[in-house]
Amino acid sequence: MVIVLNKNGFKLPRVDRDKFIALMRIGLDYNRDLNLFSIKSCNNIEKVMEAVSAILGDDVVFMQKCIHCGKDFSCAHCKYNELCVTKDLPFSCVCAECLRDGSILKNIL
Amino acid sequence: MLRNDLLWVEKYRPKKIIDIMGNEDAKASFIEWLQNKRHNKKAVLLYGPPGVGKTALVNAAAKEYNFTIIEMNASDTRSEKAVNAVAKPATSYMALDNFSDTIKTKGNMLFLDEVDGIAGNEDRGGVSAIIKIIEESLVPVIMAANDPDVSKLRPLKKVCLLIRFQQVRIPLIIALLQKISSLEGVNAEFEALERIAQNSRGDVRSAINDLQSLSEHDHALTLQDTLMLSSRNKDIGMDETLREFFSAKSVGEASRLLRYSSIDYDNFLLSVSDNLPRRYTDPVELAQAYDSVSQADMFRGRIGTENWHLLKYFFNELTKAAAVNPESYKPFEFISPPIRIITLFWTKGKRSMLDGICLKIGSRCHVSKQTAKLDFVPFVKEILKRKKSINLIEWFKFTPEEADFLIKMSRF
Repeated sequence: MVIVLNKNGFKLPRVDRDKFIALMRIGLDYNRDLNLFSIKSCNNIEKVMEAVSAILGDDVVFMQKCIHCGKDFSCAHCKYNELCVTKDLPFSCVCAECLRDGSILKNIL
Repeated sequence: MLRNDLLWVEKYRPKKIIDIMGNEDAKASFIEWLQNKRHNKKAVLLYGPPGVGKTALVNAAAKEYNFTIIEMNASDTRSEKAVNAVAKPATSYMALDNFSDTIKTKGNMLFLDEVDGIAGNEDRGGVSAIIKIIEESLVPVIMAANDPDVSKLRPLKKVCLLIRFQQVRIPLIIALLQKISSLEGVNAEFEALERIAQNSRGDVRSAINDLQSLSEHDHALTLQDTLMLSSRNKDIGMDETLREFFSAKSVGEASRLLRYSSIDYDNFLLSVSDNLPRRYTDPVELAQAYDSVSQADMFRGRIGTENWHLLKYFFNELTKAAAVNPESYKPFEFISPPIRIITLFWTKGKRSMLDGICLKIGSRCHVSKQTAKLDFVPFVKEILKRKKSINLIEWFKFTPEEADFLIKMSRF
């Protein structure tokens, strides 16, 4: 099974102190009020994915947000999936609809 | 230079931060650092593959936040002396513009591009000088590198905020290519743009260059036109490239060949130079061809590792050498690789033997290897030649092979 996460906020089971510190060091942030983790830095994103997968006991992927329409979508249906070296990572992208109808072009350059 | 003559990568260089495609998190981290100005780290190191917007971000941010960029890149010598000469004044004083009512500037911003290229003797002491400047700097210090894991950069990484850039995703590159095509009036098939974007491997700069080279002439781009792109990834050898280059019927044909070849430009330039006398037998044609090669060499020097926008002029000059007189072409046997490379290969053993000898002389006489080579070797050789002094051989701890080599050595 694959667990889909939102980079701006996701829940993890309680972890011990050392593991929590390790998570903070590799680039996660924690909101105590909402009990949510989020991605603070993407410098070690591969390690973040690995650590979160280990804690959840399943593969994890991040939801993508279209830079034009703001819609959430997954990399699974993207036609460039196999060529993309950052697939499933929480980076900006364009959804298939915005790319096809050309509406994103107004926002570029 | 006419605006129409501009490379599209220059023409469409992002002017605002928002224009830079992809790497939203990296952009946000950089802007946050710049606005809160070095709250915990005094410098920032942007790292990631080429063509993803590191330099573009710094330039766009400087423009938006009114900083004056003082830049040192890989084409500059970055020794301790050079870094101190350029960077120290730029980072130690407030700009006079700060006191002007008419000019709204926040002062200087020091930008050291391609810091992973700091290496060798000419850049000696550069990294430690940069670290010192970071510690004392009153202005933002920004660095960019492709490979941050170079061991020389380890001390630098400790004093910097690291921001990683990723390859730009294919849909984002397609969208950018679509926009440029429409602005340039290029009738481009979506599948062709898709192919260019896929072929670029996340490098926006190379994607825009491909789009320009494929569509500039007839303002149309079909999937068929992009088939040539795949050849860039194939390993076309020097021989094949040279053969096609010299048999080109026009400057355009030779230029297209160079654009799609992945051979090393420096070796190719040397090979062309070595092979010209075989290609042109007429002295006037040969002189013309060498003139073009020398112009190309000049542009190659100016390109360095940074100014790739000049590549077009390098190609232009080099291709002129191939097409001085296309009618006179007759197939000939190529010298490949270049004579210089072959010579270096054949003399490798001799050079390492001489290096070993110089090292021994250096350690005995407390001089550098270079001084040993220039000031000591000629005399030691002469002494040994006249009288094979066992004492001298023992004192320098030369092996019998090294002693023989020195005696027989004709030049060094």
